[in-house]
Amino acid sequence: MSAGVGVNLENLWIRFGDFVAVRDANVNINGGDFFSFLGPSGCGKTTILRAVSGFLEPSEGNVLIGGNNMKGIGPNKRPTALIFQNLALFPLMKVWENITFSMEIKGASAKERRKRADELLDMIALTGQGDKLPAELSGGQKQRVAIARALCAEPDVLLLDEPLSALDLKLRQHMRSELREIQKRVGITFIYITHDQGEALTMSDNVAVMRAGVIDQIGDGKTIYNDPSTAFAASFVGENNVFRGTVKKVIGNEVMINTNRSGDLMARISSNNVGKMKEGDDAMLFIRPEAFSLAPLGTQGDHFVTAEVHKEEFEGNVFNIFMEGEGGKEMKVSLPNLGQSFESHRGEPMTLEYDVHNAVALPAGVLATE
Amino acid sequence: MKNFSLMRISIWVYLALFFAYLLGPLVIMSVTAFNSPGFPRAAPWECLTFEWFSALFQDERILNGIKNSVLVGIGTVILSVAMGLAGALMLTQIWPKLRATYYTIIIAPILVPGVVIGISTLVFWDRVNRMLGLDADSFLSSGLFLTVIGQSTFIASYCMLVLVARLQRYDNALTEAALDLGASHAQTFRKVLLPFMRPAIASAAVLAFLASFENYNTTTFTFGEYPTLTIELAQKVRYGITPAISALAFIIVLLTVFAALFNEAKIRRQELVAAARKTATVEELETGKLRLPGFLSSNTAAVLLVVVAMATIAVVGTATVYSPAQCIADVKETKRLETELRIQELLQRRADEAARRAAEEGEQSDQAPATDATPKPSNDSGFGNVFNPGTLQDGGTETPEEEPENSGSGGVFDPGNLQSN
Amino acid sequence: MPRFLREYFNRNGVGLGSVMLGLVLFWTIGLIILPQLSMLDFSFRPNLPPPEIGGPKDVYTLENYKYLIFGPEGGSQDYNAVDLKVFYRTLIAAILVTLFNLMLCYPIAYYLAQTKGNHIRILALMLIIPYWINEILRAFALRIIFGETGVLNNLLVGAGVFDTPFDFIRNDIALYAGLGYAYILLMIFPIYNVIESLDRNQIEAARDMGASWTRIHRRVVIPYAKPGISSGCTMVFMLSAGALAAPQILGGPSSLWFTQLIYQQFNDNSDWPQGAAYAVVLLVTCILLVLALMRVFKVNMGDIGK
Repeated sequence: MSAGVGVNLENLWIRFGDFVAVRDANVNINGGDFFSFLGPSGCGKTTILRAVSGFLEPSEGNVLIGGNNMKGIGPNKRPTALIFQNLALFPLMKVWENITFSMEIKGASAKERRKRADELLDMIALTGQGDKLPAELSGGQKQRVAIARALCAEPDVLLLDEPLSALDLKLRQHMRSELREIQKRVGITFIYITHDQGEALTMSDNVAVMRAGVIDQIGDGKTIYNDPSTAFAASFVGENNVFRGTVKKVIGNEVMINTNRSGDLMARISSNNVGKMKEGDDAMLFIRPEAFSLAPLGTQGDHFVTAEVHKEEFEGNVFNIFMEGEGGKEMKVSLPNLGQSFESHRGEPMTLEYDVHNAVALPAGVLATE
Repeated sequence: MKNFSLMRISIWVYLALFFAYLLGPLVIMSVTAFNSPGFPRAAPWECLTFEWFSALFQDERILNGIKNSVLVGIGTVILSVAMGLAGALMLTQIWPKLRATYYTIIIAPILVPGVVIGISTLVFWDRVNRMLGLDADSFLSSGLFLTVIGQSTFIASYCMLVLVARLQRYDNALTEAALDLGASHAQTFRKVLLPFMRPAIASAAVLAFLASFENYNTTTFTFGEYPTLTIELAQKVRYGITPAISALAFIIVLLTVFAALFNEAKIRRQELVAAARKTATVEELETGKLRLPGFLSSNTAAVLLVVVAMATIAVVGTATVYSPAQCIADVKETKRLETELRIQELLQRRADEAARRAAEEGEQSDQAPATDATPKPSNDSGFGNVFNPGTLQDGGTETPEEEPENSGSGGVFDPGNLQSN
Repeated sequence: MPRFLREYFNRNGVGLGSVMLGLVLFWTIGLIILPQLSMLDFSFRPNLPPPEIGGPKDVYTLENYKYLIFGPEGGSQDYNAVDLKVFYRTLIAAILVTLFNLMLCYPIAYYLAQTKGNHIRILALMLIIPYWINEILRAFALRIIFGETGVLNNLLVGAGVFDTPFDFIRNDIALYAGLGYAYILLMIFPIYNVIESLDRNQIEAARDMGASWTRIHRRVVIPYAKPGISSGCTMVFMLSAGALAAPQILGGPSSLWFTQLIYQQFNDNSDWPQGAAYAVVLLVTCILLVLALMRVFKVNMGDIGK
């Protein structure tokens, strides 16, 4: 297939009365990418999707699809297909009629449509189920029918609005890989909306992290996870332990932060913030649970943390240790299960060590609330 | 426990009385359609007859009324379902601050007396007509147009209520999905929204037609040169009633019962099928080997439907071969005899009186047979006639007893009664 | 184009949106608002032959309303006693019919709503069937029953309750029975709908705590069913007060219903403005009465028609 059609958002503003739903969004989505908008509910990601599909007119700025400005073009004239959160399968049409609805609109014959429906049913592994009604399918089957219906319209861009949220956990994980598989096969651009960072990271080529109408960071999964550019991105994507404090000293790409509870700690400055952190600034230091390792009790230094153990959990692949953290929040440490012996230290202090490269320093900002 | 059963009994008694009040009049009215006297009555029973049905079908005004009613009904159904649907759709999208006001406006016609709607329609369109400088016999002042407009004013509100109930369960994402897949707004409306609304539109249309068909209060001001069936009936009922109206009522009752039972049976059947599908296993569904319940099984309405249908066939069958001429002739004969008897009695009495002015015996003997004549025995003979025409002659001998009461009071309302019998 | 209109057309399409808007405007303005205003306007005008309409004599006047209160000018009486009495009696009778209907229907609605089983559906069907039959025919059926030689008189005389047939029609009993009969369904359904949504456990709980049946109804069911009750009462009252067929067919010769006066003004006297004035009086009085009752019982307009 071709490289696909890109989507560009240029200085996009969307307002509802006084409320700003999207604030100056600038995004370039490459053709053929699996691109996710990741953010908590109400952050404006669905609004962006509706602006791309044409259900919403931007207050300012432009939506470009394949380089063409979409201003004034209705949803039925855009080369996009949307998969709705609740799927929106037509309840009174049979599965095959649902799938080929876009062809019916264009006046295709029933025979043609039936043929195309069978092809698509094969693709989504629902061979021979075309004569059922949507209500007679299971959740995952409905999901696949919705995808087939959207693909049948042969869109340049497929938009997916949290399509997996209604499924149970196991099916959700299965559908993730299936979606990615389908995307690779058809090679068109997918724009995916989710609040589940696991979905975003596993499937996407690139992810945009959104908060309150603002896009905080755009990057591939690894970058977002390892090198977040805002405190929000750091705390929203994956689990993270935060240490608040002020910048004490900047040494090249690294910084020493005087933390409120663990003294001076060293960290790497996130690459988007290099040169932006000055001495005396409020700062936050993030260390992932898996970035810690055990150290001899009481070891002092700029990459050692000592705290009391509150709770211990064995999760199989990891041991989780919850330690006294900041502001009443627990600090989580995950140690890989390598067959080592593990004694309980509940109620006792414990010292942990981390690699400075794995600790990210960011200017203080809003954290994601669980 | 004793208390409980006492309550149960009183509930059942109450229900029985209530439904007797509700259905009794219809039953009695239906019965009168088959009784031969010219004034509709169930008792005393004279002869089983179907003549009122043929009288009905020969009545030009009734037939014309039916034609007009159907015309008006079709117009009203189209206009009020269209307006009701538009009104319901608007209700779901109107600016929230305006919603309460808008709802009040479109629901108000239900509460406004029909008389008022009729008058306002008449007055308003008369004025429009004059403002446009049209003649008094223009389309805008024709009875057909005014009646459709007047009825639709409030029938659209009923339709709106029915439609909005269904519309509330409509997922707007379906419209968006269709648009997104390239459908135009009109295609979306036709292919997605309309099929979803179809059951509600069907009920709204039926409701609208029935409401239009039976409307009197509004139509009586607007009908002009197009009297509907209801108007014709009202004229007839107000100025003398005949069993032909009962015959019409019986037909309508029967049609209604049919429609209601059919609808109920269909719903019940759908429920049963849905239940069967629900409990069925996946394989059963997939292989199509699911055993669906039969039409009649645990479906009271379906059973009743079949019973009513068979009863109707039986009655119609009887009607085609049955001739009440013999019975009517018998009744006529007995009446003639009775009249003769009376005349003779009278003559006798006069003679007696003339002979013995002081004696009061004559009056006593005159009253005795009258008090004896309770309607009951005549009723028995009447039903006997229905099932066994062979007993006609026997029945004839019994009938004299009912006569005094019949001819005595029946004449009060309908002087033609005596002659016609 | 204002923003809300543009959004409206974006959402519905220009063609479909225009048709929809057109229909709604035609209905609300052309069929509901303007005709009522037109009738109101008409009621303040003198009754003129067509050529003089719009002429110098066509001025606003209170004549038609005065007529209802004071009768014809130069009449023998101070007040229009006949028409006022009819008006007053119509309202009182409509209220009585409404109350009678409420008492009759509440137990039925409660029973239907709180009992499970197949027979309930059949009962509901039996309720609906009479309602599908022409209003005139329903009145006609009662006429057969209440007539002087009707079934009821046959029964009563036969049973020896009366010596001579009782004139139900002249005594208005047939009329009240007919009005009550005509609107049973409109009373039952709103009440039924509300009670059906009442959690049966609430009743069980109240009974569990030893409440008597009357108390359960007074404290639990009736307060809950209030919107349905007021909705039913409003409809029955408005329809009874505005009924025309039943009074014409079942009313005695002396008893005129107020709607019959309106009918006479229009059809027999050809005095449209007078009829319009009477119609306005009927409409306004009924609406005020209903609004007052809704205020007293704290019910909203939105509950009507549910």
